[in-house]
Amino acid sequence: MVLHIALLAGLVLFSALAILARDLIKSAISLAVSSLLLGIIFFRMGAPYAGVFEISVVAGLITVLFILTIALTKTEGDVRESKLARIVFPLAFVVFALVDALVMKGLLARIPMLQSAAPPGTFSDVLWKERTLDLVGQIAVILAGVFAVLALFRKRDHHD
Amino acid sequence: MTDAWIVSIAFAAVLVVAGLACLLLMRNLIKLFIGIEVVAKGVSLILLSSGWARDNVLVAQSLVVTFIVVEVCLVATALALIINITRKTKSLDVRKLARLKG
Repeated sequence: MVLHIALLAGLVLFSALAILARDLIKSAISLAVSSLLLGIIFFRMGAPYAGVFEISVVAGLITVLFILTIALTKTEGDVRESKLARIVFPLAFVVFALVDALVMKGLLARIPMLQSAAPPGTFSDVLWKERTLDLVGQIAVILAGVFAVLALFRKRDHHD
Repeated sequence: MTDAWIVSIAFAAVLVVAGLACLLLMRNLIKLFIGIEVVAKGVSLILLSSGWARDNVLVAQSLVVTFIVVEVCLVATALALIINITRKTKSLDVRKLARLKG
């Protein structure tokens, strides 16, 4: 339980760091570290496939994409964030964390134990037999993403 | 067990609110997108801990895997859009978008 809370606190801390850091590369790397911690939490919850996807895809691929984008747009100069954001964000973050902790502490004793459902088989059974429609939708989304990126980077026609 | 999933959901709520606050307050396009990523992390944590609460992680896990793949498509498209916008407005500032001419 202590380890679980420590991992969750690290996740929230690195995500806040990713939002607050001035340097974009630093915030991309903090985001990768928080994905790594989230992957470890998934492993500890007994979801190894989700953990592997989180670590390899989100911590790996998305970080590479972020750093590539930062490198490609670096010449355009720095954007000045408003001073209000620097003050309001940490304040709102701490206030909400406190309210959230108090509410959840109040709820802790009142929520009855949920009935546990019988495990329906293995992960591949659930993924391929129960969620077949999701997979079709997923393929459609991947194709849509590919076409969108192709359309965004196509060369202009000569008469354009 | 009962305590652990409530604690997870409490932390996930903090993540979602932090991401939304980032979306409201920041001006840099890449920072805004990092805010969306933080919200996505919170949502996947909520999905999995709700499955964990009922000792039935398998369905939640397959949903999280689907969600992560969709998230990658979203990231690729949005970063391509950000690069194109930056080429056009010569800045990463989101306020410059309001002054775009056709």
